[in-house]
Amino acid sequence: MTTVPKRKLLLDMDGATATASLFDEYAPKTCEAIWNILPVTGRSIHANWSGREMMLHLEGDKILRLPQEVPVHSNYIYEGDIHYFYRASSLSRGKQLAYSAQFQRELSEFAIFYGEPAGEGLSAYDPPRTPYADGIHVVCKFAALDRPMPQAFKMKCESARYEGLKPLTVSRYE
Amino acid sequence: MAQKLKLTLGNVEATIELRTEDAPESSKLLKSLLPLQQRARHSMENGREVYILLDPKTEVPDENQTIYQTVGDVLLYYKPSVFVEPDWTGYANQMPVLSWVYERDTAIMGTYGPIATNVVGTIIGGLEKLQTEAPRMRREGMGTMNLSLIE
Repeated sequence: MTTVPKRKLLLDMDGATATASLFDEYAPKTCEAIWNILPVTGRSIHANWSGREMMLHLEGDKILRLPQEVPVHSNYIYEGDIHYFYRASSLSRGKQLAYSAQFQRELSEFAIFYGEPAGEGLSAYDPPRTPYADGIHVVCKFAALDRPMPQAFKMKCESARYEGLKPLTVSRYE
Repeated sequence: MAQKLKLTLGNVEATIELRTEDAPESSKLLKSLLPLQQRARHSMENGREVYILLDPKTEVPDENQTIYQTVGDVLLYYKPSVFVEPDWTGYANQMPVLSWVYERDTAIMGTYGPIATNVVGTIIGGLEKLQTEAPRMRREGMGTMNLSLIE
């Protein structure tokens, strides 16, 4: 029996790095779509609904509008998870002035849960976010940060809460 | 005559009217803590909420509480420390905070559901400035928040 090596990601958050393993067996189509747009570089922003999470918005030709590949009940969030998240403009509420203009309504992003609490807070109890319908709201866990997670990476993410946007590059780790 | 507070966040200023009739004890408590000056923090779990930490010994009475917070509410409550610091501290699992809500799609949450919070005041002027300044700080870094009594 041969074992296929897992595809890996390299995350570079303002000089602090971490690696992650793709869930190819679990969400193959999502993983492939994401693999094909790498590397992705942008200015990541800290979440304000979901606990310890950094968001990297996918812009321009990197934007992805993927279907819901994995059942939502299999998408429980844990520290280290990386999700693909899509939210249509019809679900946008309020002003999103902290986001760049492209994402003040439609949102396509990587959600990187760097610490606990992960996925708790308002996002866990927000009915408008639960249709999970293709083209409206899609969430898919597609990777996880390798353990142990580098403390420097986690603290760089945490510092974004106070210091603002942080440059983040997600690339293939080969 | 209603008592008012001056709130500054970074470069903008707003006015708060204390809810002295609905929340007399909370209003009295807040006035006793003034002036307050601290680096503001943005909520990572509740949506559009900005807050500062109060002295850990502060005892917040249960008064004028709701789980249905709305834009412009000024709140006193205990925030689970897991939402404040990276490491959950064994000796203190909640921290008293003063916060305010600047946009809808906000609800104050604990680790298991909504938290009832004291509504101690209402932002009656300058809200639109806060609605611009708070997102700017999310992008560029959090600045100082000041709160003082208008005599």
